Amino acid sequence: MRPFTYTKTEDTAQATSKLAANENAKYLAGGTNLLDLMKEDVERPDELVDIGLLDLTDIKETSTGVSLGAMAKNTETANHPLVRKNFPMLSLAILAGASGQIRNMATNGGNPNQRTRCAYFFDTAMPCNKREPGTGCGALEGQNHMHAIFGWNENCVAVHPSDMCIALAALDATVTIADGNGKTRTIPFTEYHRLPGDQPERDNNLERGELITSIEIPKNNFAKNSYYVKVRDRSSYAFALISVGAGLELQGKTIKNARIAMGGVAHKPWRAYEAEQFLKGKEATEENFEAAADAEMANAKTLEHNAFKVPLGKQAMVRALNVALSGEKV
Amino acid sequence: MKENKDKNQQEYQELQLSADEKSILDQLGIFGKSRRRFLGQSSAAGLSLMATQFIPIDKVFGQETVPSTPPVPFKNAVDVSFSINTKTQQLTVDSRMTLLDALRERLQLTGTKKGCDHGQCGACTLLVDGKRVLSCLTLAASCEGKEVTSIEGLAENSELHPMQKAFIKNDGFQCGYCTPGQICSSVALMDEAKNGDASYVTEDIMNISENLTLSDEEVRERMSGNICRCGAYPNIVAAIQEVHQGRETDYNWQES
Amino acid sequence: MAEITENMIKSKDNLGAPENRIEGFLKVTGKAKYAAEFSVPNVLYGFPVRSTIAAGTMTDIDTAEAEKAEGVVKVFTHKNAMKFNPAPDVESTNKMTMPKSVLNTTAINSFGQYIGFVVAETFEQARYAANLVKATYQETDPKIDFDKYVDTAYKPDNANGAATDTQRGSMEEGMSNASKTLDITYQTPIEVHNPMEPHATIAVFEGDALTVYDATQMLGPSKVAISNTFNIPQEKIRVLAPYIGGGFGSKLRAWDHVMLTIMAAKMLDKPVKTAITRQMMQTNAGLRQLNRQHMRIGTSTDGKLTAMSHEVMTHTAVDEVFVEQAGFITRTMYDTPNQLVTHRVFDTNIQVPTWMRAPGETPGSFALECTMDEMADQLQMDPIAFRIKNEPKTNPLDGKPFSSRSLVQCMQVGADKFGWSKRKQEPRQNTKDNWLVGYGMAAASRAAPYQESSSRVKLSYGDDGLEAVIEMAATDIGTGTYTIIAQTAANCLDIPVDRVAVNIGDSDLPATPGSGGSWGAGSFTSAVDAVCEKAKSALKNKITSDSSALTTADELMKAAKLTEFEMEATEGPSEDSKKYAHFSYGAHFVEVWVDEDLGMVKIPRVLSTSAVGTVLNQKTARSQVVGGIVWGIGQAMTEETTLDKRYGSYVTRTFADYHVPVNLDVGDIEVHFIPEEDEHINRMGVKGIGELGITSVAAAIANAIYNATGKRMRTLPITPAKLVDYEKQPVA
Repeated sequence: MRPFTYTKTEDTAQATSKLAANENAKYLAGGTNLLDLMKEDVERPDELVDIGLLDLTDIKETSTGVSLGAMAKNTETANHPLVRKNFPMLSLAILAGASGQIRNMATNGGNPNQRTRCAYFFDTAMPCNKREPGTGCGALEGQNHMHAIFGWNENCVAVHPSDMCIALAALDATVTIADGNGKTRTIPFTEYHRLPGDQPERDNNLERGELITSIEIPKNNFAKNSYYVKVRDRSSYAFALISVGAGLELQGKTIKNARIAMGGVAHKPWRAYEAEQFLKGKEATEENFEAAADAEMANAKTLEHNAFKVPLGKQAMVRALNVALSGEKV
Repeated sequence: MKENKDKNQQEYQELQLSADEKSILDQLGIFGKSRRRFLGQSSAAGLSLMATQFIPIDKVFGQETVPSTPPVPFKNAVDVSFSINTKTQQLTVDSRMTLLDALRERLQLTGTKKGCDHGQCGACTLLVDGKRVLSCLTLAASCEGKEVTSIEGLAENSELHPMQKAFIKNDGFQCGYCTPGQICSSVALMDEAKNGDASYVTEDIMNISENLTLSDEEVRERMSGNICRCGAYPNIVAAIQEVHQGRETDYNWQES
Repeated sequence: MAEITENMIKSKDNLGAPENRIEGFLKVTGKAKYAAEFSVPNVLYGFPVRSTIAAGTMTDIDTAEAEKAEGVVKVFTHKNAMKFNPAPDVESTNKMTMPKSVLNTTAINSFGQYIGFVVAETFEQARYAANLVKATYQETDPKIDFDKYVDTAYKPDNANGAATDTQRGSMEEGMSNASKTLDITYQTPIEVHNPMEPHATIAVFEGDALTVYDATQMLGPSKVAISNTFNIPQEKIRVLAPYIGGGFGSKLRAWDHVMLTIMAAKMLDKPVKTAITRQMMQTNAGLRQLNRQHMRIGTSTDGKLTAMSHEVMTHTAVDEVFVEQAGFITRTMYDTPNQLVTHRVFDTNIQVPTWMRAPGETPGSFALECTMDEMADQLQMDPIAFRIKNEPKTNPLDGKPFSSRSLVQCMQVGADKFGWSKRKQEPRQNTKDNWLVGYGMAAASRAAPYQESSSRVKLSYGDDGLEAVIEMAATDIGTGTYTIIAQTAANCLDIPVDRVAVNIGDSDLPATPGSGGSWGAGSFTSAVDAVCEKAKSALKNKITSDSSALTTADELMKAAKLTEFEMEATEGPSEDSKKYAHFSYGAHFVEVWVDEDLGMVKIPRVLSTSAVGTVLNQKTARSQVVGGIVWGIGQAMTEETTLDKRYGSYVTRTFADYHVPVNLDVGDIEVHFIPEEDEHINRMGVKGIGELGITSVAAAIANAIYNATGKRMRTLPITPAKLVDYEKQPVA
């Protein structure tokens, strides 16, 4: 870990201006990913601005839905009555991630900014365009069973690791961002993260100095019929091979609306628009769920070690939809 | 063996013990006077003396909890003051120093273990402001004003925490290295169950009440952030359930 | 060595009680001190620098920036390292004691190899400066890919001390005489021990005397290795390891970080502490090899074996050979007239393999016990009946009688307690919601080596009677050594367990073989029992009056008018014991639930039976078996080290990628000990437990998964990827 100066602030504007002033500065929130990466010498800030004391911890009802403060911990969020009742898929997704200890530390604002778990990104001896642009992608022709099947290119095949963000993408959340000039902007959660394109070093569309202050989830009618399924290499405390967040809004047996997002498949939370489109207006049956999943997986492009993600992705999506339909898990 | 136990039990009852000693002996299942001799001091240090098994004591417990000063002033020094096991500590730390290293390398509180240093094993679990967190991913500098409780702070007045007793009784450990983290995690888990916190395996996440009774499956999921390479998991679950539900596990020991 | 005679066979009436670990409260209060936790004034922090390539030559290493960094005391590289001059007569084939010079070459043989060592005032400073050291290399193509280099295999001198090849009868004949035959290849992956406590060493010189606090399973051999490496007389070296945070074989030999730390302490004349990182635990502290195992089996129609072969292909390091005896179990388990067992190995730029919990048996039992299950299935025979049909009368390897062999009882009792009769022979017959439910079993055996050990007893009187201190250079790696030593002494001396203090973990104490190979319990306690008996005999000789009625140590001490007495003894294998083959036996029964769509497997229930001779402590013995089963679950389901074939780098760099089982991976585990007396192995009748527990668990799980799904999983671990994409799973 490189030397850095440590400061803390209770003022959002001061925090953002510090980051705006120093391109090598980073925010320190829960620290669960940043300190890990600093010890690996992947993240190399020379200044940490501790924002753990910012007054952004509220989880509250708004006129349009629920607002999650950026500094509220993942644990509080998953267990907040507003979240549990209205967005159980989000509670489940958060609880599927990491461990109790880490969820007690990790914040809502930090979670979307966690970086990929790709081993080539973590290992400074390896090529990685995300860590060191221009060095190549180590995983493309390396060990890539954890890697992407959607939206990747030869620059980067890494996947986004968060569970929480999969649910937020499915739930049409928006992100409120403060900049260094006292201004805020709001962007749809599905547009917060990026595909690798020709800038794989950029995980998201946050500009220098900007800070997530809250995440808003609009009211919806998916609560009763939603689920988050996660498949991993051990039963807990592991990153997803595939995860699927699914919500159904039903009118009798007919699907009025479906919301589906997948984790472990792309450089960003992968909203399964093809599957959603297919299901809209159709009857909620296993056959239709399978056809919807096939429609989504048709665009998959696999690597040497991750072909299994196509059948697994399909079956996980069907499972998520089936459980959501049953209404049993939530 | 049973005869011995009975005999010792008797001896124990005849002894005039201080309340402290009595509670300690009760917990440890130690009855003989010879052990008691070591227990003259009821401090934690005195306790540990008993079973250091004669490794030279000065080497084992020298400089206990005396904060050592850094050899040179650091370039990025941060002054921090926090409470550790109810005692306030003031330290000047390198900004890079984790809470884990501050305890182990500066305060000689080595009960909190370093297993991976990257938040992947749970050995460094302790309580900050009552919540279980990972001290390897917590900067010491960020702990200003916080209340930290480590494994060394769980026993009160020399009385082991019920979870510590249950771990001994159910053999919830082998090598003992993950144990402080497991126990701190388990202690926090009891509060989480009281609060009605959910887990990924909770049946009905929309309707959850306080004072949850956790199934074994629930305990396993909630304890999955604490790796035990010796594989004491079933015994850890048994220990937790003994404290949580009062459920004693029948191990079917062969009559010996 | 004294012969064991009838009346010397120990009464075990007072042994076996499920006593709590006597050191337990130190562990639950955080007071047990592990190697890195000893407080040494003015200690400096060491941090190794690792190679970023797997093969080639280091052309230069630049330490200028690192040396300028805050707090750095010294940066060691091959340019300024000590020139090692091991004594010329030092034996160099024993991996535990051979000299191990460090930083004395520019050749790079594996990824992560230590190429430098930074010593600084603090851990943070040392870690940072290590990143500032920059090496340049002339790279060569690393030999990593198994399939690419398998053709370069050769016949090693031995397989971990066992014969490389053995043959009996003719495989060809046996196979052609068979009515049913199978020819199958199984593969077990590279695994890493990953004990929870990363290896750590503190080296302190006081004059020419060296004290080493070390995470080691082996005090004596570590001392000898250090002595051989640095040419320091053994009597000037003291190795201390009162508590060890797990070993599993990785702490049997002193790895390079031990020598780096001592070298730095010596050259700087200051104490130095090194705790290697979890990342280094993957690359620099040994591993279990990938074993590709080709099995052929032939039987008559009624299930009598006619032939069985087990041909093992594996890899080693370019600069050191270690071959796991994966085929060994097949030599001793079942009766077959025709057999072939071979081991072949080839060189790679992967670090040297080493012993890992039940070396040989762990991978070998997977191949053997799955083969037996596959053949039982072919024969439409119950797997237990098939095994009993082929039960040998004497050890098939050498014709020696077994000192005890309760395998059949293990299988029968286990079957009864598990409810094996409910198993359906045909797969895919049992479902529950989304789950396919399956039952599987496997038989287990593990060699029970027993070794010479010494012990000292010190008797004295305390407030309420006779007390004993037992001293020996033994280690407790979580196995329960402290407690079983106390119980054994208490049993022999007729005093309560809590009047025995146990002083171990110090190489200055009487020598023992250390903790490894499941010999610890039998070797330590036999020595303890021997020394206590010897003390009693010696006391008897001191008594001038009639001592025939005196039996307890207390009576003897009083009659001898002594308040203090000390005795030392050494105990080891008798001539009688050498006439027998010694193995522990067991059987594992597993219930699995398989979610075929998601490739997820739950193991809600494992029931195991073990026949291990005398059980010294029901509680700690059970924990040993439980731990072994959890390891078996890891082997079967989650554990695998993967390397990048192009770079030789580790893709499983940390605990986040190398998946050891977590709590939720493990369901209910029930352990039953089959009462057994082994009158030949040692005076305590103790065989090994810790490695029996893991043996064959993976096979039982794979067999259960077959029973659930009809899918044979022959390449471990059984991941969701392999279950979901079964048709495309890699076939070895």
